[in-house]
Amino acid sequence: MSAGSIPSGAQIRDPGYPTHSENYLTNSKGIMSWIFTLDHKRIGVMYLIGVTCAFAFAGLLALAIRLHLLSPDGAMFKGENANNIYNQVFTLHGAVMVFLFIIPSIPAALGNFLVPVMLGAKDVAFPRLNLCSFYLWMIGAVFFLMALLGSQLDTGWTFYTPYSTTTDTSVIAATMGAFILGFSSIFTGLNFIVTINTMRPPGMTWFRMPLFLWATYATSIIQVLATPVLGITLLLLIAERTMHIGIFDPEYNGDPVTFQHFFWFYSHPAVYIMILPAFGVISDLISVHSHKRIFGYRFIAYSSIAIALLGFLVWGHHMFTAGMSSLTTIIFSALTFTVSVPSAIKVFNWLATMYKGSISLTTPMCYAISFIFLFTIGGLTGLHLGTLATDLHLHDTYFVVAHFHYVMVGGTLVAFIGGVFHWWPKMFGKMYSELFGRLSCLIVFLGFNLTFLPQFVLGSRGMPRRYATYDPEFQSLHVMSTYGALLLGVGLTVALFTLLYSLIWGKRAPANPWGGATLEWHCTSPPPFYNFERAPSVGDPYEFGNVEWDSEDERYVSTEPERKLVPDEQPSEVPAH
Amino acid sequence: MFAMLPGAFSLLGDQFKDYAWFPEQASTFAETNDWLYGVITFICFLFFIPIAGLLFYFAIRYRKPKGAKAESQVAHNTKVELIWSIAPSFVLIALFYLGARAYLDIRTVPEGSYEIGVQAFKWGWTMDYGRGTYNPELHLVVNEPTKLTMKSSDVIHSLYIPAFRAKKDIVPGRYNYMWFQPTVASEKVSEEELAKATQWTKESGQGWNYEKWQFTEHGYRFFDLYCTEYCGTNHSEMQTVVVVHETQEELDAWIKEVSARGSDVTPEAWGKLLYERRGCQGCHSLDGSKLSGPSYKDAYGSKRKLQTGEEVLFDENYVRESIINPKAKVAEGYAPVMPSFKGQLSDDDIYSITEFIKTQSSNTPVATPATTQPAADESAAGETKE
Repeated sequence: MSAGSIPSGAQIRDPGYPTHSENYLTNSKGIMSWIFTLDHKRIGVMYLIGVTCAFAFAGLLALAIRLHLLSPDGAMFKGENANNIYNQVFTLHGAVMVFLFIIPSIPAALGNFLVPVMLGAKDVAFPRLNLCSFYLWMIGAVFFLMALLGSQLDTGWTFYTPYSTTTDTSVIAATMGAFILGFSSIFTGLNFIVTINTMRPPGMTWFRMPLFLWATYATSIIQVLATPVLGITLLLLIAERTMHIGIFDPEYNGDPVTFQHFFWFYSHPAVYIMILPAFGVISDLISVHSHKRIFGYRFIAYSSIAIALLGFLVWGHHMFTAGMSSLTTIIFSALTFTVSVPSAIKVFNWLATMYKGSISLTTPMCYAISFIFLFTIGGLTGLHLGTLATDLHLHDTYFVVAHFHYVMVGGTLVAFIGGVFHWWPKMFGKMYSELFGRLSCLIVFLGFNLTFLPQFVLGSRGMPRRYATYDPEFQSLHVMSTYGALLLGVGLTVALFTLLYSLIWGKRAPANPWGGATLEWHCTSPPPFYNFERAPSVGDPYEFGNVEWDSEDERYVSTEPERKLVPDEQPSEVPAH
Repeated sequence: MFAMLPGAFSLLGDQFKDYAWFPEQASTFAETNDWLYGVITFICFLFFIPIAGLLFYFAIRYRKPKGAKAESQVAHNTKVELIWSIAPSFVLIALFYLGARAYLDIRTVPEGSYEIGVQAFKWGWTMDYGRGTYNPELHLVVNEPTKLTMKSSDVIHSLYIPAFRAKKDIVPGRYNYMWFQPTVASEKVSEEELAKATQWTKESGQGWNYEKWQFTEHGYRFFDLYCTEYCGTNHSEMQTVVVVHETQEELDAWIKEVSARGSDVTPEAWGKLLYERRGCQGCHSLDGSKLSGPSYKDAYGSKRKLQTGEEVLFDENYVRESIINPKAKVAEGYAPVMPSFKGQLSDDDIYSITEFIKTQSSNTPVATPATTQPAADESAAGETKE
């Protein structure tokens, strides 16, 4: 389908294709050129590979969990140790997904690649710090693997005391891992804050930044402010385990609930570290593929900041049953409700952006639409949990499991995959099969809903979470959920192979395959190692008026109206000033 | 043909029973809670249906070929945006208010409630009915507000009764309280059914199988009680049952029945019951397999290697010490995770358990003068030392 036409006489602006020596992927060769690279794009690609491996690993663990729950007495792990193995598997699934995948997924992988390019800059503010943060991520991952191969962690990813101070599994290795990953996260956040503050090109005011940058900025603020608290908490936990300093363990006069306060003071904002970048991705995807200016730019930008700040005040809602005073509990409930407003604003704005747009149902757009659908369910079911009386029933049941998977998987993961499909041509210069891309989206959407919708019912019927075995009355819903998980696995595999296939057999990507107006579409695909020769002129990031479809070369180009040149001839009389 | 209809309906009913949204409503909290859940769900649909509808409608209605221009480039509309930012807030305030009001009811324990103590441990429950009566089952009286005073022996647990819509964490190092008022009494199954199950249990030589029979060994149907705070290996098996009696007299009769060994019960049999009921079997096997604690098989009369490298004789005193002060002499190769049962088992209980352990060992000297021990001592082990 094509209906575009380039106005006659208009000047076409298109950067063309990079040469072999310009292309950041090929300009230097050899493994060392990757290991010691300071190029933010290469670091972004290495992150992308890293988080994908972590995701694949933790995803397989998730399938093992679901297969185990096919029967009430456990179908997957057998023998005396079955419950222990199940507990280790769900712990690793959670810990790897949270610390190694979701937190670094969009900010570190996509963010590293995109932030400087979107700013028209050559690199982030501190390229060496950036590489350092990648290696910290690697070291953290190694510690986690050590915990796995060592004495098997079984505390759940939350490390609740006094269980974590008394279990004989490798809590210390795992917490060291999380501690180091925390620094990786802090460095990335710090880098982006400085980059966005100081390296915006002339003309790019705060309110002419792409919304992805706003989201990244808000995320970075949380990373820098909240992650140190996690670091301190984990150090205290290690100290409690080794030296019995008596802060968390009641046996030494500590208070286990203190740990929960400390832990959620980080981990609740961390939830917004996970979802805010997804909001940024979706804002850009919806606008570009609707070829329409984003609706309510300022509201979306401010709501990102509002979420980042309010996110710090609601950690107590993880502890409604822990025995806080009634007053504290009620205050936390009230604050929790306030967070839902900025999220709702975003959903309304995305819908309004689609209204009267010119929508191309490309793969990234299909994922963006799935995101809105799934995230809305995830957000709305938060109301059941924020309301105190109903939370007492639903707390720590499968309802909570379903709720946060709708937000983290249906939200963040789907946005991440949508973002990867959207920027894939830019990152690797290849187009993938739209047919298989959209097919993967459909399978993921159906599989996901089949997995997690039954879990809401399991929860309201009273099935507690983290159970290796369960009462037979819950079986039919568990079986549905397991089939859904298998289908979801198929969908994700299709998506992965669609992308990998394109690397070798995909068509060469034009500079602007989707018709985006932000700066990354103004350099070649893939970008040259220096991104831009000189700082580009900055326009409105959501102004699509001059982006035209060139059906001959299957690309979008920006056009400029034909300019009349000043006549060449000299005036007959020279004015005397 | 019409005669088949009721059958068909009950079949259909059975199908849907599996998909019911809630467990039975069996406490005063349940109705308010489910009503509130319904209200919230209704509001969710009120938002979700238009959002999802418009989402798919726009995606199809405004789908255009590549290069077509959007029909509008409106950047914002402050009035509309303010409306959809502020209007939902009123709904949120209403939900918050309803939730908080119901929550305060749940938190405020009425004066003069019937009190039961709860001890949670890895991985089981001990309910304290006073006067030295302990039992893993929670027995209540219908329409009687009941307060639970809960403590934990080791890590955080959480007491959850889905049918009551009630849940509270149990944090070690402090007491946590909760209360509820059951509204539905447990049915009693017929004598024949109970007799059949009792006979089967006797013959099989195993403990009472709640899952198989779906009623207790006294013939009551029950509600489930779960632990909902992850607490280690057998977290998912840390379950017990709730039985609601019609009258206080009925409850008292039950308490009397379970409080101590009757004169017609041998110490071995009583010890076996305690082994099953009081959580021993979660960690100590009878067939020699290694769980969290050492097996009882051939333990009695053997030499036991300790963590410290010492060796002790596994005798009556060792059993007694291990129950009252489990961390004193920990067997080699095991973590010191066993909670103390000091004050929770009477002298006769400990004696019975010892006798039971003896039956599991081939090292036991044959003639043990069982008659010299008093039966059913009222006082608990720890307190007698005062």
